[in-house]
Amino acid sequence: MDIQFVGEHLLPGKLGQFFIVLAFGASLLSTIAYYFQTVKDKNDLSWRQIARWSFRIQSVAVIGIIASLFYIIYNHYFEYNYAWSHSSKTLPVEYMISCFWEGQEGSFLLWAFWQVVIGNIIMRTAKDWEDSVMTVIGLSQAFIISMLLGVEFFGHRVGSSPFILLREAMHDAPIFKDPEYLVKYITDGKGLNPLLQNYWMVIHPPTLFFGFASMVAPFAYAIAGLWTKRINEWTKPAIPWALAASMVLGAGIIMGAFWAYEALNFGGFWAWDPVENASLIPWLTMISAVHVLIIFKNTGHSYFTALFLTLISYILVLYASFLTRSGILGETSVHAFTDLGMMGQLVTYLLVFLVISIVLIIIRWKKMPFTEKEESIYSREFWMFIGALVMTLSCLQVIGFTSVPVINKILGTNIAPPLEPVAFYNQWQMPFAILVAVLLGFSQFMKYKKSDTAKFWISTGVSLVMSIIITAIIAYFTLFSGLKTVYGNAFNGSENFNWMFVVLIFAAVFGVLANLNVLSDAIKGKFKLTGSAIAHIGFGLMLIGAVVAASQNKVISINTSGFDYGSQFDAKNKRENILLWKNEPMKISNYTVTYLGDSTKGVNTYYRVNYKVLDEKNNVKESFDLYPLGQQNPTMGLVASPDTRHYLTHDIYTHVSSVPKKETDEEHMEHQGHNDDEEYEKPVTYKVSIGDTITFDEGKVIVKGINRNAQLKDIPLSENDLAIGIMLDVVSNDDHKVTPVEPVYLIKNNAVFSFAKKMDEFGLKFKFVNILPNEHKFEVVMLKKPGKQKDYIIMKAIVFPYINLLWSGTIIMVIGFAFAISRRVKELRATSQGKDKKDKQLA
Amino acid sequence: MKKTHIVGIVIIAVAIAIIVSTYGNSSTYATFAEAKETTKELHVVSHLVKEKPQHYDPIKDANYFSFYAVDNKGVECKVVFFGTKPQDFEKSEQIVLTGGMVGSEFHASKILMKCPSKYTDQGSDLKEFSSAPKSTSL
Repeated sequence: MDIQFVGEHLLPGKLGQFFIVLAFGASLLSTIAYYFQTVKDKNDLSWRQIARWSFRIQSVAVIGIIASLFYIIYNHYFEYNYAWSHSSKTLPVEYMISCFWEGQEGSFLLWAFWQVVIGNIIMRTAKDWEDSVMTVIGLSQAFIISMLLGVEFFGHRVGSSPFILLREAMHDAPIFKDPEYLVKYITDGKGLNPLLQNYWMVIHPPTLFFGFASMVAPFAYAIAGLWTKRINEWTKPAIPWALAASMVLGAGIIMGAFWAYEALNFGGFWAWDPVENASLIPWLTMISAVHVLIIFKNTGHSYFTALFLTLISYILVLYASFLTRSGILGETSVHAFTDLGMMGQLVTYLLVFLVISIVLIIIRWKKMPFTEKEESIYSREFWMFIGALVMTLSCLQVIGFTSVPVINKILGTNIAPPLEPVAFYNQWQMPFAILVAVLLGFSQFMKYKKSDTAKFWISTGVSLVMSIIITAIIAYFTLFSGLKTVYGNAFNGSENFNWMFVVLIFAAVFGVLANLNVLSDAIKGKFKLTGSAIAHIGFGLMLIGAVVAASQNKVISINTSGFDYGSQFDAKNKRENILLWKNEPMKISNYTVTYLGDSTKGVNTYYRVNYKVLDEKNNVKESFDLYPLGQQNPTMGLVASPDTRHYLTHDIYTHVSSVPKKETDEEHMEHQGHNDDEEYEKPVTYKVSIGDTITFDEGKVIVKGINRNAQLKDIPLSENDLAIGIMLDVVSNDDHKVTPVEPVYLIKNNAVFSFAKKMDEFGLKFKFVNILPNEHKFEVVMLKKPGKQKDYIIMKAIVFPYINLLWSGTIIMVIGFAFAISRRVKELRATSQGKDKKDKQLA
Repeated sequence: MKKTHIVGIVIIAVAIAIIVSTYGNSSTYATFAEAKETTKELHVVSHLVKEKPQHYDPIKDANYFSFYAVDNKGVECKVVFFGTKPQDFEKSEQIVLTGGMVGSEFHASKILMKCPSKYTDQGSDLKEFSSAPKSTSL
């Protein structure tokens, strides 16, 4: 018999599910129709009409899925598993958008959405490429929407729908036998991960997914080119798409780094976490692809490398989503998605695209242009090619290393990650970065095909000498004594010094100078290279910023007052957290730091920490407050987010590592045989009357009066019951702050109860145990926790020097990309217009 | 010899070096007994012994936390972690410790905690805690 469930809203879910099936069907139809339009008669356009309309229907359906899901989340329909798992009633509307990317289904939806956008742009602009390119994009779209289907085929579930009901997701749970389960038990959702409740988390995932999704465009052009035997022509329209994909994905990665820096408390912006690596891998190959595509366009060399890198980039996007979504990273990553049982589907998606690529390469192998002529050593293309290869190798290292869990799974081995993964990666990636920085410098002094040797050596020589001088200055301020401007005069050399840093800075400075040279030419009128020069300058600055901020950041909250466990530990384990008592200033580095108390907004508690800089005469030179955030999450424990003071030259980054657990203010009913008094010192009983004062170490308690109509939460009182509260004021000696407390004495059904009240700041607990009518006195028991129970926080403070170089470098790089894209698009328009004219003349 | 050949050889050499350094140099997960044998740092997969006392007194030293853990072979060992006590430590299902033996104590520089997940009923959340500074540069 079917149970009629009360209070469920089934329509939006049914509608959403309908849209999913519609989108899936329409994208398949569009793929098939575009396929036939590509292979069949060019004069009959009926297939194209079908294909276009089904892609448009599919686009509307994807919007419909998003709207249905948002409607469910917005209206708190917790009968849906997705809303229950990822949102709650208290979630602000702006973060409801973030619910979309906390779950796998939502992030696939986001991916599908961007592919809709890209597909529609290509449909309008691709002209004679439309049919073949859209076949590939339609197929990719069908695969992505299949991840949302949640339909069973022959006993095998395909995809995971976001519209599954809670009772379907957990059909074994006994509460779903009750037709009123929704009204009775499911009152609120589990809520959104607090770390995602950050404004960077609202824009970082969409940008990242836009980047991932746009990788399909150059891939689709390459496949289309091979398929329709336009072996060389596909590179021209693919270049602006490849640039756009690199720009957007690059921006997305950097936003992720900024989110990590601003909202996570691992103390940095990049941790070589597998999930971070997964986004970096396709970016590195796509950047290499862009360079080799440009080489091919200008010289006709390196065709196969350009093709290979373009194809592999999208394959690697799919591999990256397999890594982060299949649950295979489990042991090694802190923030991969959990498994939804879609590993097979993800692998199929990857394999289908891989097989298509390989088959087409084999079929067209004979037609591909392979040049026998050697490039000159004094040609730009030779060194650009080397640069692209270096980046590919750096990518290979990241892939090899991130794939250890995959290798373990396939071979059944048990290889552990290295002890210091970050150091391991840096060791490998620093030489790659140095090579790339040098290459992007001096290849700018060369010309395609053949450069003037003498001229090249003169300009390179001049830049090298200038770079040495500038590197010396930068290194002084960022690695040596110049850091005093950031750390104050007490700074005496950095222990984290490595000559490789100087070499990397030198390489980056050289790269920046060489490209500044190009930029100055650009201002004189040679606009063509503006984009690449700006992007390269940005990249160079980013390298300098990253190496300085990551290597020279210093924990300034070193504990000097802590209990000494012997010197043997100190060398290896720096004590990086300090305990701050409320209102007791402490000196760390050149700051005087004071914890001033907390305030609570919604689920978040902000700990106000004051930083002061004092001069020799103890005058305050500077004073500011930071509000690091801590959230006592019932299931995740303390979730801490840092707060950062930004200066031009450095940042002061502060987060709480541990705080005393907040006691709830609930009234504790004393049961016989059970009490939590054990953590307190021996109880002391006082006989008091109104106006009396009890003193303790940090303050006093004043008896203010008696409340004859005391109310108790959750306990209804009848006429025969007697509930009396005694009103006590706890006054602190330090700041004379008054905290009222009211323990209650209750006689109910001829039994006596005492409701204790706590005052946590001083670790006090009061019980009202007896009324002595004859003496006009009341018996109050006071308990006190041993030791000082003042409020405290344990925090960590880190100074990041010159981190703004990193952020500004990345912004400059993105601007450079934008210039480069606009140039390539203009070129493309110019050539296609030229072609149109020719066609017209022929006609 | 052509330039492309030289470039090719260099690339193959670097690729081999990458593979060797990733897979040749790597360790497998160890036990406390193995940690006693060596002075090198290791990963030990262990579970918290909930019955044995844990020591964390932030007022005395916010960076000293000790507890007892038992490895997959059933060997128990006292573990010292120089950092703050991770919240909800008691709820952990599995702890991966990074560090080495000092006398009879295992000194951990990093703890990777696996907790019952908030989001899925089967899956788990991982949390990482580190006392040592994150290593340097890009």
